[in-house]
Amino acid sequence: MIVMHIDVNSAFLSWTAAYEQQQGIDRDIRKVASVIGGNEQNRHGIVLARSILAKKFKIQTGMSLMEARRQCPNLLVVPPDYQVYVRASKTLREYLYKFTPDVEVFSIDECFLRFTDLNKEEALSLACKIKEDVKNIFGYTINIGISKNKLLAKMAGNFEKPDKCHTCFPEEIKEKLWPLPVEDLFMVGRKTKVKLNRWGIYTIGDLAKTDPNLLFKSIGVYGHMIYAYANGIDGSIFKASPPIKSVGNSSTLKFDVIDTEIAHAIILSLVEMTAWRLREAEMMCKVVSVGIKDKDFNYISRQKKLPYFTDCTKDIYKNICALFDKNWDSRPIRQLGVSVSGLEFAKFQQLSMLKDKNLLKNEKLDKVIDSIREKYGDTAVIRGIFANSELSPILGGYPDDEYPGMSSIL
Amino acid sequence: MKILNEPIKVMVIFHPNKGLESGKIEPVKFRLEDQVVRIQKIQKIYEENIIGNKRIVFVCQHNGKDIYELKYETDSKTWYLFKK
Repeated sequence: MIVMHIDVNSAFLSWTAAYEQQQGIDRDIRKVASVIGGNEQNRHGIVLARSILAKKFKIQTGMSLMEARRQCPNLLVVPPDYQVYVRASKTLREYLYKFTPDVEVFSIDECFLRFTDLNKEEALSLACKIKEDVKNIFGYTINIGISKNKLLAKMAGNFEKPDKCHTCFPEEIKEKLWPLPVEDLFMVGRKTKVKLNRWGIYTIGDLAKTDPNLLFKSIGVYGHMIYAYANGIDGSIFKASPPIKSVGNSSTLKFDVIDTEIAHAIILSLVEMTAWRLREAEMMCKVVSVGIKDKDFNYISRQKKLPYFTDCTKDIYKNICALFDKNWDSRPIRQLGVSVSGLEFAKFQQLSMLKDKNLLKNEKLDKVIDSIREKYGDTAVIRGIFANSELSPILGGYPDDEYPGMSSIL
Repeated sequence: MKILNEPIKVMVIFHPNKGLESGKIEPVKFRLEDQVVRIQKIQKIYEENIIGNKRIVFVCQHNGKDIYELKYETDSKTWYLFKK
């Protein structure tokens, strides 16, 4: 079996750059110190992607734009365009299906391909062809990592960027993986790095040769996992089919929210978007969850399993509000998010006695609202509480859970 | 004159899916700043698919020497003029 990891080189930035070139805008943001960053006035001001030159100024993804400007005063900040990104991601994926039906989407700019009929040489030449084709057809560069499992393929994809194909087969681990610093290993973050360094573990090789029991005693099951990863062992299965695992929307708010009523209204506007996307995908959910980030950036998320499947806006909203009321500690809220998971196709469904008796009516209402919005625009029909209010009736756009930005599950 | 990606009004023939010119798209003339420009010669037709945004590109020749491009964006169903 061969697994390939496809990674778009500084995705948002390359996609914006290619799009600008197509639009005839006379600049290449890839060639200057530039970042893709959100709207600072609405407090979405962080670096989402950076160019290679911006990297030289030590600008990191996730840094605030203010900080980034301090590092590089002439920094070019370009706003993101999620519609462009979603389309780019989708067409890349459709293109990859030409080579294998086994495509696992890992995030908006990363996916895994599985082949069962290739040997190593064939895999490498196919990867080079894919890489060149993507550059020529779609106008941006990718990295491809090739190996026997997802972990090693992902590690290989990160070796040297941009526009490269690398292999990291199990027999190459010693030479290619082990000399790398331990923080380069998947799932080893800043905090773990400090701990490992304290124990004298500096490279992935050091970690691979440590006693796993020692790691287990100090950092638990996680220790076993990174030990296995360092040795190139990854037992995860290849999840080709289900295209979506969860649907959700979140938004950093324009002001800190201290009032339950406003918080509920914001939840409603997020649910409007999420539930619509859920119905659009012809799915129903069984689990609802809410995420709250307070003004000090403390984040909690809580979820609840429902006794039935639903795709009804009102139903999801009511359950999320109940969850919110139970878990919110009244501290000012900076960011709110809702998501639904435990998805199942909506074609057939088990009737439930536990559902609200008005549910059938509400489901019909949802369908009508959806079709009106499709025909006349998103704000053609809005809920009464948003009339004459500052709040936007539908919130969230970037399908962030369809493509989990940072997933710890391989 | 440098015009890049200017949305324009175009008069086009969409040939039906049969016969010699099956399915062909043939721009005839377009309007640019109150001026109607007749398309004299189409040199080449190709498709570009930059980051999945599909456009059909018509490379046109004017007065035997000037080259410009008309691009039809399929998603937005809009015509654009490119001239360097």
